Amino acid sequence: MRSPFHSEPEAFRFLLVLILALVPIVLAAALGPTWLALVVLAVVLGGVAARAAQLRMRKLRSPDLLVKMAPPHLGSAAERRVLVVANDTLSEEALLCEVERLGLAPRMHVLLLVPAVITAAARLTGAIDSLLDQARARMQAALDRVGHDNVAGKVTGEDPLEAIEDTFATFVPDEVIVATRWEQTAGGLEPRLAGLVRERFAVPVRHLVFEPGSAAHEPDEATEARYQREFGAAAARKFGLRALAGAGILAALVMSLVALARTTPTNTTTPAAANQAAALPTGAPSALTKVIELKVIASGKKGPDGKLHDDFTLTEFQVTVGQPLTLRIDNTDTVPHSITSPEAGVSIILSPGTHDYTLLVNQAGKFEWHCAFPCDPWSMAHVGYMRGFITATAA
Amino acid sequence: MSSGRSTTARDVSINPQTWRWSHPRVLVEDPDGEAGLAIASGLRFAGYAVAVCPGPRGHGQCPLTGPAGCAPAHDADLVVCNLGYEREVAREVLRELRTRYPSTPLLVVVPPEIDADLREVLDSCHQLPAGATPEQVVAAVQGISEHAAEGGAASA
Repeated sequence: MRSPFHSEPEAFRFLLVLILALVPIVLAAALGPTWLALVVLAVVLGGVAARAAQLRMRKLRSPDLLVKMAPPHLGSAAERRVLVVANDTLSEEALLCEVERLGLAPRMHVLLLVPAVITAAARLTGAIDSLLDQARARMQAALDRVGHDNVAGKVTGEDPLEAIEDTFATFVPDEVIVATRWEQTAGGLEPRLAGLVRERFAVPVRHLVFEPGSAAHEPDEATEARYQREFGAAAARKFGLRALAGAGILAALVMSLVALARTTPTNTTTPAAANQAAALPTGAPSALTKVIELKVIASGKKGPDGKLHDDFTLTEFQVTVGQPLTLRIDNTDTVPHSITSPEAGVSIILSPGTHDYTLLVNQAGKFEWHCAFPCDPWSMAHVGYMRGFITATAA
Repeated sequence: MSSGRSTTARDVSINPQTWRWSHPRVLVEDPDGEAGLAIASGLRFAGYAVAVCPGPRGHGQCPLTGPAGCAPAHDADLVVCNLGYEREVAREVLRELRTRYPSTPLLVVVPPEIDADLREVLDSCHQLPAGATPEQVVAAVQGISEHAAEGGAASA
């Protein structure tokens, strides 16, 4: 696979720009709130878009240093192929005479390319077919008038320059004639088209201008330069308007995202709060900020007998009557354990793994709890191991 | 109709298009548009895909001498250079072609007087005298291509 870069410095520069663009976005995402990351993303995208627009505008306004290209000649050395690009000028007798003259030459192939100039409005209103039909009618009338077998015709709905480019791959012309009016008319070809073809293809290009009833004229260099300037300015204007519309849409999108991010409730203890909220009955108090973390470890604590015994790393719980307390318990054992206190109305079964549980006591007092699952008998009998106290105080 | 005004000192896009054809490809560097087209026409009828570039011209910018590189030169099978070597920028183009694409044959139309510096630049280039006709250029290109093909076949 070929590299899209022409040189190593170009590839390196692209990589550098990519990293420089990503660093602030990643930093903002890692260190700041979501809306800040979105704002930084918008700024970076805006900067990239502005630079791209600037380069594009410069390209549109300035003369291109395009390399002209052409494929090898098709057919025998004696054959010649001429592409005639015309639309509304096909009705001009002077142009038809020129095509007829070309058709009379031996071993000559002429292709009449008729681009139906389809405007954005025509695309929106679905008037494409009628424009294509008009172009077909013009082409057929021209072919009937010329009446040579070596003159063919083709109608296209493509952009004229793209259509010519495609024709270079199929018909492979040795010469191109672009027929326009002095100024572009509705549905007519852009006079600048000849210059664009000349800049791109390494074959002779003739620009012939036809006005009703008159002979063919070839614009001088000054006129071609004016076409180029006006075309560049119009293209830049068009691009500017599109870029402005795109920037507006992008800004609206980013503002919506920022607004959405800022209105989403944030909670630093989101997972626990979510689990607590899920565990709580409707109408429970909202002060659910405290999370107690502890572990259940099999043979985790040395007893006075010098042996290791099962234990809870925390066995004393302080709660407020009627207010739930979240316990995040990591049961590292392979079997379940429990916090069971019938007096306090507590029975929490602890599955292996880390889970959140809600401890809720509805009466004041100090209640003893124990693990109800048969495990280390010594631990089950001793406070500070698999047994302890819950102290509930009135609110 | 209004007359055109001078368009000097304007920025120039230096990002030329890439090759679209897989035939043997020849890049022709010639500041004279008509002469370049005449050579291109001859080469096309000899079976080559062609690209015609005016070279750095007056503005002194050429993608070959910049970081962007030159797409047509990158993929050309042979380069014909007729840039006039009085200017340093033209010699710079030759140096870049030799440095970046050492295996691409380079046919240079040389002036009658060759100084030491230019002689060094022209080392390992095929040469044609100034004033060579398009037919002579085409014949030279064909000769170099055939020689390269024979060399390739021999090495294979």
